[in-house]
Amino acid sequence: MKNKIITLIITAVFFGCADQLDIAPVNSVESSSALKTSKDVEALLVGAYALLGDGDVLGGNMQRDAELIGDDGEMFWDGTFVDPGQIFIKKLLITNGQAELTWLEAYETINAANTVLNNLNVVVSTKKDKVEGEAKFIRALTHFELVRVYAKTYTDGNPANNPGIPLALTPDNLEPLNRSTVQQVYTQIIQDLTDAVNLLPETNGFFATTYTASAILSRVYLMQNDYAKARDAAHRVIASGKYSLLSDYANNFNNSSNGSSNATAEDVFSIQVTNQAGINNMNTFFASSDFGGRGDIYVEPAHLALYDPADERLALFYDDERTGKWNNQFGNVNIVRLSEMYLTRAEGNFREGTALGQAPLDDINFIRNRAGLTTPLASVTIDDILLERHLELAFEGHLIHDIKRTQRSVGALPYNDPSLVFPIPNRERLINSGLVQNEGYGN
Amino acid sequence: MRKFLLLMTILGLCLPNSLWAQERTVSGKVTSEVDGSSLPGVSVLLKGTSTGTVTDVEGNYRLSVPTTGGTLTFSFIGFTTTDVAIGANSVIDVTLSEDVKQLSEVVVVGYGTQLKQDLTGNIAKVSGSQVENIPVPSFEQAIQGRAAGVFVEASNGKLGQGIKVRVRGTSSLSAGSQPLYVVDGVPITSQSQTALSGDTNPLADLNSFDIESIEILKDASAAAIYGSRGANGVVIITTKRGKSEKTNFNVNFMTGFSEPTNHVEWLNTAEYVELFQEARANTGYISVASLEARLDRYAGGVRAAWQDPSSPSYVDTDWDRQALVRGSINQIDFSASGGTEKTRFYTSLSSSNQDGILLGTAFDKVNGRINLDHEANDKLSLGMSFSLGRTINSRVPDDNAFSTPLQMIALPPLTPIIDTRTNLLSGVLDLTTGLPNSNFPLYYNPLIDINYNDNTNTVFRNLGTFYGSYNILDNLRFRSEFGYDLLSQHEERYLASVASRNTGAPNGQGDDIRTQVFNYTTNNFLSYNVSFGQHELEAVGGMSFQNSNANFARVQGQQFPSDSYRKITSAASITLGNATETEYSFLSYFARANYKFANKYLLSLSGRVDGSSRFGPDNRYGFFPAASAGWILSEEQFLSENNTIEFLKLRVSYGLTGNAEIGNFPWQGLSSGDGGYAGVPGQRPSQLANPDLRWEQTSQLDFGIDFGFLNNRITGEVDYYVKNTSDLLLNVNLPGTAGAARTQVKNLGNLENKGFELVINSVNLTGELKWNTSFNFARNRNLITDIQDQVVDGNFLSRAVEGEPIGIFYGPKYAGVDPANGDALYFMKDANGELTATTNDYNAAEFTKIGDPNPDFIWGITNNFSYKGIELSVLFQGVQGNDIYLGGGKFFAANGDFFDNQRKDQLNRWRNPGDITNIPQARLFDGNGTGESSRYVEDGSYVRLKTLTLGYNLPRTLLSKTSFTKVRIYASAQNLLTFTDYKMWDPEVNTDLSNAGPNAGGNVTTANVSQGIDFYSAPQAKMITFGLNIGF
Repeated sequence: MKNKIITLIITAVFFGCADQLDIAPVNSVESSSALKTSKDVEALLVGAYALLGDGDVLGGNMQRDAELIGDDGEMFWDGTFVDPGQIFIKKLLITNGQAELTWLEAYETINAANTVLNNLNVVVSTKKDKVEGEAKFIRALTHFELVRVYAKTYTDGNPANNPGIPLALTPDNLEPLNRSTVQQVYTQIIQDLTDAVNLLPETNGFFATTYTASAILSRVYLMQNDYAKARDAAHRVIASGKYSLLSDYANNFNNSSNGSSNATAEDVFSIQVTNQAGINNMNTFFASSDFGGRGDIYVEPAHLALYDPADERLALFYDDERTGKWNNQFGNVNIVRLSEMYLTRAEGNFREGTALGQAPLDDINFIRNRAGLTTPLASVTIDDILLERHLELAFEGHLIHDIKRTQRSVGALPYNDPSLVFPIPNRERLINSGLVQNEGYGN
Repeated sequence: MRKFLLLMTILGLCLPNSLWAQERTVSGKVTSEVDGSSLPGVSVLLKGTSTGTVTDVEGNYRLSVPTTGGTLTFSFIGFTTTDVAIGANSVIDVTLSEDVKQLSEVVVVGYGTQLKQDLTGNIAKVSGSQVENIPVPSFEQAIQGRAAGVFVEASNGKLGQGIKVRVRGTSSLSAGSQPLYVVDGVPITSQSQTALSGDTNPLADLNSFDIESIEILKDASAAAIYGSRGANGVVIITTKRGKSEKTNFNVNFMTGFSEPTNHVEWLNTAEYVELFQEARANTGYISVASLEARLDRYAGGVRAAWQDPSSPSYVDTDWDRQALVRGSINQIDFSASGGTEKTRFYTSLSSSNQDGILLGTAFDKVNGRINLDHEANDKLSLGMSFSLGRTINSRVPDDNAFSTPLQMIALPPLTPIIDTRTNLLSGVLDLTTGLPNSNFPLYYNPLIDINYNDNTNTVFRNLGTFYGSYNILDNLRFRSEFGYDLLSQHEERYLASVASRNTGAPNGQGDDIRTQVFNYTTNNFLSYNVSFGQHELEAVGGMSFQNSNANFARVQGQQFPSDSYRKITSAASITLGNATETEYSFLSYFARANYKFANKYLLSLSGRVDGSSRFGPDNRYGFFPAASAGWILSEEQFLSENNTIEFLKLRVSYGLTGNAEIGNFPWQGLSSGDGGYAGVPGQRPSQLANPDLRWEQTSQLDFGIDFGFLNNRITGEVDYYVKNTSDLLLNVNLPGTAGAARTQVKNLGNLENKGFELVINSVNLTGELKWNTSFNFARNRNLITDIQDQVVDGNFLSRAVEGEPIGIFYGPKYAGVDPANGDALYFMKDANGELTATTNDYNAAEFTKIGDPNPDFIWGITNNFSYKGIELSVLFQGVQGNDIYLGGGKFFAANGDFFDNQRKDQLNRWRNPGDITNIPQARLFDGNGTGESSRYVEDGSYVRLKTLTLGYNLPRTLLSKTSFTKVRIYASAQNLLTFTDYKMWDPEVNTDLSNAGPNAGGNVTTANVSQGIDFYSAPQAKMITFGLNIGF
């Protein structure tokens, strides 16, 4: 009896439960088994789009901030969030939370694209070009958005000397990266986008196509004041015939990805939002609470006064102080609409004295006509073209970039005032003192 | 446990009995002086021999003694040992008086019990009677100020919220720093499980009334038996068990009310208007008309509301007093306990309902318990503990939400509570659209939340322990325990359509969230004790396995037909669905040996091998040994004759404990499947691998002295300890360009806690008027000795910096106001690198240490008085030398930067050149001095009259004619008085704005590093309760 008990005790005490310590996560998957098949890598590519659409990247905050920092009296930040408030009054602290989040989320996006590129070998050959092209497109677009925010604009001084942003071209860079020059960053962006133009298909659902890459390329060249190349890239998009202007300007906006209308005929590229995934932060900050927004940003009469009373784009404003472009909480965020390509082509043609596609006057009248301004202009100046661009693309995240490249000012601040550039986030400089801080933000 | 000791005593004493000649017998009854009750289990020993017996259930004994002479020694734990000469008596009844020596107490240690005088480790004990009638939702709050070196801090005045407990300092940066909680042998789930903002406290599900004792294992010797779980200290909770006696019934009824400990004074309407007119004029960002239009808007469209004090429409709302209201509590507890020699039981039922002082908060609790012990035969005993409870917590959002009640104070005083245009709460309905308004009042009105939204957290909690104990030999016992903790939580929140300004859901939003945590433990161990000659040896060894599995599911819907429909079934659109699961396990082998020689030399060795699923295969196991020794000097010849020193013991302990509270899969590289995009599935890298990750280790050295002077009327303990944590589990910030993750858990760095603790208990007066005092004092110094220059940030300016204590405030040092122009100034380095130059450019200011939230020392003092049946107990408790950061300062102490109402001191703003003040010029929208800086650091030291209880026991002479054994009426006050220079609501504060719980995406690093932050945090409640306690 005693022996039996002792055996029982020993068994109980020393019974091996060691295998009970092998517990694998079920909500996530071990990295090594996450990228084994072509489908796995394609899913990661989709993940990169989702990251691109993060609220702090192109889900709205970068566009919002481009409007806030570029504004001079046409809108008003009335919100309680401190970070956008600092951006609006152009007095960013080095600890600005938005400056930090945009940086972090953007590099997370780039990392996903780099991880895709690093695993192209498992992608089936029929899809390899497309996957590579999309990853490079995402990497280029994100680097481009970053360099415009955190560095001097391309045309300010010598881009080969000005610090740009760190170029992340490999995944999981545990060692900190330092800033490349503005020139180096642009060269890489153009390289990636050119590859994307060559690799991507003509149609690809709401994902990037060869024309999406061209459209972004047109923006890159425009920032460099390389008008001919910008014009050519924009023209390529228009001439493809894949896109068309919607007859009703208002229909461009607030389209939800729920259901079939994923992207409109005019959308060259848009961030997809559903009521279960994605976020539209333009709506968050511009829309009133009736549309699920915070209503932090008012449009001032000074902006409304710029429109012709007959302009349908004026009619889109509501409550006399809010843009109607953003009043669907779950609406897609337009990134590139075809009308921008017409405006870019018009500007490029005008500045180069050419008429690729059609004359600048015709492109501008085409855009005005769609907005209900049926009386064509007889002639256009560069100011007309830029005003038309301002009105057509208002509150879509172009403001500061157009001001900088055309070297206009924001109120009393010249285009290259240091306060119009974000600080390198303090968090990053604490980790990597090799990251040079921007002018005007201490040492 | 106590029964086990008793059993050992019986076994030890009965054996030699038969060796003695039996010539006559004495018998008698032993009773307690305290209440006259019979005392079972009292040891009765013929002095100078080993002849003895113990009293039976009725307190009777019978013993054979030699024919002549002899003295009987009666001893019983908790009572004074009494000698009685036998003389010619054959019946000797004895009344034992309660021992004032606390040293002979039995304390619960891991997997056993020990006499306090034999301890070589440091364990603080709080008895259940000290906490049972304190009307706080969770028992840890009741031990505040009662145990040396145990820092307890409620984050704010919300009910059932997370409570911070630190035993001898914070010993980790990124791993959990809360102690391990063990109830009746089972480690329980103590981490917040809410998926909504603001941590909740699973310990609040326990019933304080059921607690027999709380032991806090503080040093390595005491805690190492819990090995990897012990680095933060271990809190062992033992529930009440039945005794072999007649059934005792006990009923306790308590009712009372509560008030906030403090209100803060804000600008009234006239002051507000004046300040903002001035602030506008100073910047000119907006016109006079625009400002007036705004004030009209905030005043509900009525200009007289802010402009004309004589008008009946004039508004002057004190929002502070709208948010902080009178609360109430009602509680009833019932218990019955008793049993026969073979079977004993304790059963209880409790119910309490509490309404908080923060508008909209309430906490209701019902608990039932049954504890059974049965002796099947003289070898086998078995039993169980089983409790089932339900708590319903009516919650409000965390401190960072516009909708949290105390953010009401941001609303201008000129905003009416009721909008005269609608006769509804301000902000409820827009006149023109009929939809919720987006620009009136200034912010979303939290009163809307309280009146229209629901947020309840219902928890069913079931703890069960089953044990069997078998005596293999007389001194070798095997015990097997299986215990589980089932936590089932249901959170339901409905955000009404009228709340859409805050929620972004114009037609309502509902959440239904279910969490289930099943956590079980089995312990199997052998206990052995032997004594030979002057040697005594006690050993325990065995294994333990714990597994915890958490399941979580959430569904969220929007688009409800109306606010009458609140269940997800009525949502036209499902906007979020989520189900997850996570699990961990620990496998442990442990052993301990306590050796005592000649009653004066003590040695204890313990060790534990822990394996955890939380580490990779190569680093899965850790070994945590400890050794300690004690020397009872008072047993030595040279002190035995000393009349002053009754008891003196030196002790020293050293050992290793560990910490693995770092999430369940921290070492693995992970990819998450949540990268879907517009319905297309997607994944993303989410965590970078670190297969080398291993246990965080804390070594602790403790020197202690236990003493008893003047017949033990003065007793106490002094301890000095050094705790070194190495291989810190640190969530290291990665450069943003690393991409996949912002942080990675590494073993990096070391930190140290060292400190001094003092406990003094004194019996000042005996006799009719009794007075005793219990004082404790603890000073802990935390120092981050090495984190390789990593920067670990918490909220606001909280940071972990090498060479400093955890969580100091690090930022620009405010240099006051430039008398010439009213600019806020900050210190910057001068040409010599000294911090003497000033600048008005925040970005140019030098970042430096500007405050320390860690207290210099904490203390508590309890004085108990009794006179006849009247008892008075007074507990003062204090925290000294800690700073508090006002996270909301940039909004409410911002010299009119934005339209938030301002704290009254902002009226002292700079106005004219030459003005000397610390408040910068009022400048609307200009951020003059509103950057986070030492401007918002305030001293948080306080002394508090924590508990004051006055009780009256009806005299026994009166009761003897009734069937009542006890009738006690009492009145009690919590937090009655607070002495502090702190200018906000309450200095016992740490905002709940960042969750630590896993279901809310908690960030433990942030929670550890962010200390002493006030962000619209509700004050503690001042509670007055009246109670009646009846025993029969």
